[in-house]
Amino acid sequence: MNLHFSMLIFLSVVAVSQDESEDQSTARKLEWSGNFDVKYSIFHMNQSSANYKLQFFNKSISSYLSQYRIEPYVNAEYKLQNLEVQLKTHAIFYDEKESSFDLYEAYGTYNPSASLSLQAGKRVYNWGKGYAFNPVGFVNTVKDPENPELAQAGLMSINAEFVKSFPSEVLQSFSVMMVILSGRPVISHRFDETKNTDVGLKFSFLVMDTDIDFMTYQSVTYPARYGVDFSRNIMENLEVHAELSVANKVIRYVVANGVPQSQQSDRASYLFGFRYLSEISTTVIAEYYHNGSGLSRSEFQSYHDYLVNGLSIGTSVSVQRTMENNRALFNSNTLMQEYLYVKISHPEPFDLLYVTPSMFSIYNLADKSVLLSASIQYKPTTDLEFILWPSFLVGSNNSEFGGRQAQQRIDLWMRVFF
Amino acid sequence: MKLFVYLVFMCLQNLAAQDANALLKSIDDHLLPESYEAYRKIINEEPNGSKKEFTFYTIKKGKDKIALLYLAPASEKGRATLRLGENMWLYIPNLNKPVRITSLQSITGGVFNNADILQLEYSVEYDARFAGETKDEQILELKAKSTVVAYDKLKMWITKERQYIHKVEAYSAAGVLIKTLEFKNEKNYGNGLVRPSTVETFSPFYKGYRSYLIYQKITARTFPDEVFTQNYMGKLGNLR
Repeated sequence: MNLHFSMLIFLSVVAVSQDESEDQSTARKLEWSGNFDVKYSIFHMNQSSANYKLQFFNKSISSYLSQYRIEPYVNAEYKLQNLEVQLKTHAIFYDEKESSFDLYEAYGTYNPSASLSLQAGKRVYNWGKGYAFNPVGFVNTVKDPENPELAQAGLMSINAEFVKSFPSEVLQSFSVMMVILSGRPVISHRFDETKNTDVGLKFSFLVMDTDIDFMTYQSVTYPARYGVDFSRNIMENLEVHAELSVANKVIRYVVANGVPQSQQSDRASYLFGFRYLSEISTTVIAEYYHNGSGLSRSEFQSYHDYLVNGLSIGTSVSVQRTMENNRALFNSNTLMQEYLYVKISHPEPFDLLYVTPSMFSIYNLADKSVLLSASIQYKPTTDLEFILWPSFLVGSNNSEFGGRQAQQRIDLWMRVFF
Repeated sequence: MKLFVYLVFMCLQNLAAQDANALLKSIDDHLLPESYEAYRKIINEEPNGSKKEFTFYTIKKGKDKIALLYLAPASEKGRATLRLGENMWLYIPNLNKPVRITSLQSITGGVFNNADILQLEYSVEYDARFAGETKDEQILELKAKSTVVAYDKLKMWITKERQYIHKVEAYSAAGVLIKTLEFKNEKNYGNGLVRPSTVETFSPFYKGYRSYLIYQKITARTFPDEVFTQNYMGKLGNLR
């Protein structure tokens, strides 16, 4: 831990000294930025849910828990003519014994021309047009639909991108990106098998004022995937978008006869949605998401029965095994198939300066459970932000959102940007 | 006879419109080079007197390509917006992808919206006609060429002596005044470019707010078309 934070402090000190010594007349540019988040959360635990009982097996604790943590994000950007290096770090500190340090992104870019770029290192990709979900995000880090704009960790990869513009009203621009990723590590996270190297390919077009992408992911280890997406402003204040992905021989896990089992089949996932801005500056984002690899209502019921069964055996071994399987095989923000996402935000209502309220919900159409969240953001100066963020998970104990460990949560954030 | 009078009237009206559009084009030419880079600042003055400042680097090419990169404040640094004709995108560094936005949206808050900050030339978006004059100024009435332009009508006051914009009023299709822009503080930017350096904006919909768009530096410069693509939005800083 101390090493992690010593490193972070060292980076900050170097940042200050470098900025001061930088000669503006040279072509070299080194810039530092970031934000410092302090978060306090109160959880009202759902003590009757199977997930809670597994996590806190044989522990008697209050149904109200709190968590206090700091999360510094420190970024560095170095530029020299057509070379660029990006570094994005993130740390979480709970106390002296519990903390972590992550290298979110660290990559170098070489731009031989405006049309061509080559990148190598650890980088975040964000394929797809969806806001909360991206079925075509084959090389994306899995997004948290509760906060899709949060910084995330990237992937170790190499990529090349070529872009070309055209003076045409039909085909306005075209680009192609190839991403090469190392496969699944086989020896202590240091060695991969060369044959397992994966390739992602994306072709993008701006055709008649519409963004269209075609993408594929080819792998020996994972199923081959193919996708298409589009986005277009159909009115001056209304944008529509959609994504479709198909995958061959997808391995998914279900519980059959009380035991987790893998199944292999071809699956399609899709999404369609819109972003609307009203005359009074209210923004509405709505998306329907079909997760082709997710569990059906009856499959989810079997999964829930499996958790309950692990508990009913009543031994620490059975609880441990159930929890391990739960984490390894059913660890997803969207375990089931049909979701509706709606987010509404409005800046400075009723002349309340610097205040932006917003609310979003993720509604599980199959089991009628819902995650409902409303946040109030207060930004008294451009580089300081306070957020009050209560969330409610509503549904029966055998539903996806109703069965989670917490039934209510309130987050209080302070963010300082620098 | 009636037909003859009607035809003469139509011809005169057409000639007047051509003159008005030529004047509008000349005003555009006085304001900015066709392709340029600029450093601009927006100051939003709130009703309680406090101020918020945003600085950005802007590049423009031809009639329909403009992009800007936020340099300050720290919370916005690295964000970029791109406009290609009527298409607009916002790039958020954390997301690492461009998202389509609308011209009516305001990224900085305050009275300016995207259409003001990413404005193309007036003569590209509007048809002009003469609508009167004062002792020192001519007045043009501008009608949007398409429905996707943020303001349906503009009323523009132009100084007779130097042919500079002095004031613009922006109206909705229903004829409601949305905002007023006043052009102030003439400044010499070099290479023969002399123009108002400050655009002050206020709106009946934002009582007590006032926004200032200040041109700090303008330099004529050409760019490859490819820098005006979604793919380049995260790399706009390389051009500085």
